[in-house]
Amino acid sequence: MYELLAQVMKFLLIGLIYYFLYNFLKLMVLDLYEERKSSDETDYYLKCEDGREFPLRKVTTIGRAKDSDIVIDDPYLSSKHAMIYKRGRRLIIQDLKSTNGTYINGRRIKKAVALREKDVITMGSRKFTFLRREARGLERGSDI
Amino acid sequence: MDSREEAIYNRSLTAMALVGFLSFLLLSAYRKPVTFLPFYGALAFLTVVFLGYFFTGWVLPNSDKFLFLLSSFLAQLGLIMLCRINPELFKRQVVFFALGVGFFILISFFTKYLLRLELAPFFYWAVTVVLLLLPLLFGVEKGGAKNWLVFDGFTFQPSELAKITFAFYLAGVLKNGRIDSFPRMATEILTVVGLLAISKDLGGAMLFYFTALIVIFVATSRPDIMAVGCFSAAILGVSGYYLFDHVRVRIEAWLNPWKDVPGRGYQIAQSLFAIAEGGYFGTGLGLGRPDFIPAVATDFIFSAFAEEFGFLGAAAVVLMYFLLVYRGIRIALRLQRNFEILLAVGHTVMFGMQIFTIIGGVIKLIPVTGVTLPFMSYGGSSMVMSFASLGILNGLWQSALEGEDDDED
Repeated sequence: MYELLAQVMKFLLIGLIYYFLYNFLKLMVLDLYEERKSSDETDYYLKCEDGREFPLRKVTTIGRAKDSDIVIDDPYLSSKHAMIYKRGRRLIIQDLKSTNGTYINGRRIKKAVALREKDVITMGSRKFTFLRREARGLERGSDI
Repeated sequence: MDSREEAIYNRSLTAMALVGFLSFLLLSAYRKPVTFLPFYGALAFLTVVFLGYFFTGWVLPNSDKFLFLLSSFLAQLGLIMLCRINPELFKRQVVFFALGVGFFILISFFTKYLLRLELAPFFYWAVTVVLLLLPLLFGVEKGGAKNWLVFDGFTFQPSELAKITFAFYLAGVLKNGRIDSFPRMATEILTVVGLLAISKDLGGAMLFYFTALIVIFVATSRPDIMAVGCFSAAILGVSGYYLFDHVRVRIEAWLNPWKDVPGRGYQIAQSLFAIAEGGYFGTGLGLGRPDFIPAVATDFIFSAFAEEFGFLGAAAVVLMYFLLVYRGIRIALRLQRNFEILLAVGHTVMFGMQIFTIIGGVIKLIPVTGVTLPFMSYGGSSMVMSFASLGILNGLWQSALEGEDDDED
C-alpha cells in the first residue's frame, strides 16, 4: 500500500518541484529583461522644438560630431557638446566644456546637474524639453 | 514590487507548501506505528517560512524574496530527506532552520550599520585566524577533521563563521581595485588556507583558496595572478598527495573506487550505487536504501536525494543552486561601491564553490572532501551561517536600492 502511494507520489512531487523551478526561471527572465531595458533605455526622452523626439539611453552624447548619439547640425553647437547619463534612477546632464554652453531653464550649467521633468535645455539655438514617457511603465515585460 | 512578480512568488509559495504537505504526509505513513511527527514538523517549518516571508516583506519593503524562498525550498528538500533518514536529526534541523531565518532577518536589517563601521581588513583577518585556531587548540575531531568546538552538549563549527569574516577581509583588502602589497596578502591568505589544511579540512582549504583567487581576479582583472594561483594550487595538490596520507587516500578513492570497495572506496562507491539506483524518476520517497551510504545526513545527502527523487529531482536541485548564485551575481552587479561589490561576490563565490565541491565530490567528478551542502545537509552551524551569508547579500541589495532612491548629485 505504502509502496504504491510512494510510486504515485514521486511523479507528483517531481512535477511540483519543476513547477517551482519554472516559476523561478521565469523570475530570472523577468530580471534579465528589466536589466537589459534599464541598461539600454530609459523612460525619458528629449523633445525638440520642431517636434522631433530623441529617446535617452544610459549614456547619451549630444553634439555636432557624427558619432554622437544625438547629432544636431547647428553651427552654434560644439562637436561634443553635452552628455546625459543615468545614475541610479536620475538622469544627469553634463556640459562637455562647450564653447557656447548648455542652459537649463535659462541658467548656464557648470557642473553636472540632475534633470527634472519638463526642464528646458538650451544648446546653441536649439531648445529641448526633457519629458517622461508615461505609458512605458505599465506595459513592462508584457510581451514575454 | 509589481503585481506580476508578486503573483509568481505566491504561486511558488503554494507549490512549496504542497510539496511539503504531500511528502511529509507520506513520511508520516512510512514508519510502521503511524506517527504524525513528520507532519507536525512540516507544519512548524512552513509556519516559519510564511512568518519569515511576510515579516521580511513588512520590515524591509525591498527585501529579496527570491533568495529567501529559494533557500527555504532547498532547506525543505533537505528536511524531507533528513526526516526519512533519521527523525531525531529532523527535529533538531527544524529548530536550526528557524534560528537561521531569525539570523537572516536580523542580519539583513543590520548590514547597513555593519557596512558603515569600515573596520580595517586586518581585523577581519585576525578574527578569521582566531576562529580557525580555536578548534585546533580546544576542538574535537569528527569525521576526520578537527574543526569542532564543544560547549556543554552543543557543538559549533567555527570555520563556518570564518567564511563570512574571510569574505569581509577579501573585500576590505581589495577595495581599491589593486593589491597594495602582494607578499603580505599572499602570506595572509596562505595562513588561513594552511590552518584549514592542518585541521585536515581539505574541502575547506580548497574553498577558501579558490574563493580568494576568484575575488582577486574580480577586483584586479589580472589573468596572470589567476594563472599563477591555479598553477600553485596544482603544485600544492601534487605535493599534498605525496606528503600526506589522508590526501592520498582521498585521491586514490576518487581515481578508482572499485579497487577497494569495502575499505577506502566505500563512501564513494555507495554514493554512486545510490545515484545509479535512482534512474530518471527515483525509487520513490522511502523506497531507496540511503542507510548504506556513510555520512548520509551531512555530506552525502545529495546522493540520497538523487536516489529517491531520481536524476530529474537532482538536476532540479543543481539548477536551483545555480539560480541562487545567479541572484548573488545580480546583486553584485547592481551595487556601486567596490567594497560592497566584492563582499557580494565573495559570499556568492563561497556558496558556488561549496556547492561545486560537495556535489562534484559525491558524483565522483572531483575527490570527495567533507564540506556541507548549504541548506540541505544536516548541521546547525552550516544552516545558520548560510542564512547569515544570505542576510548579508539581502542587506547589500537593500543598500543598492536605497542608493538609487536618494541619489542627489
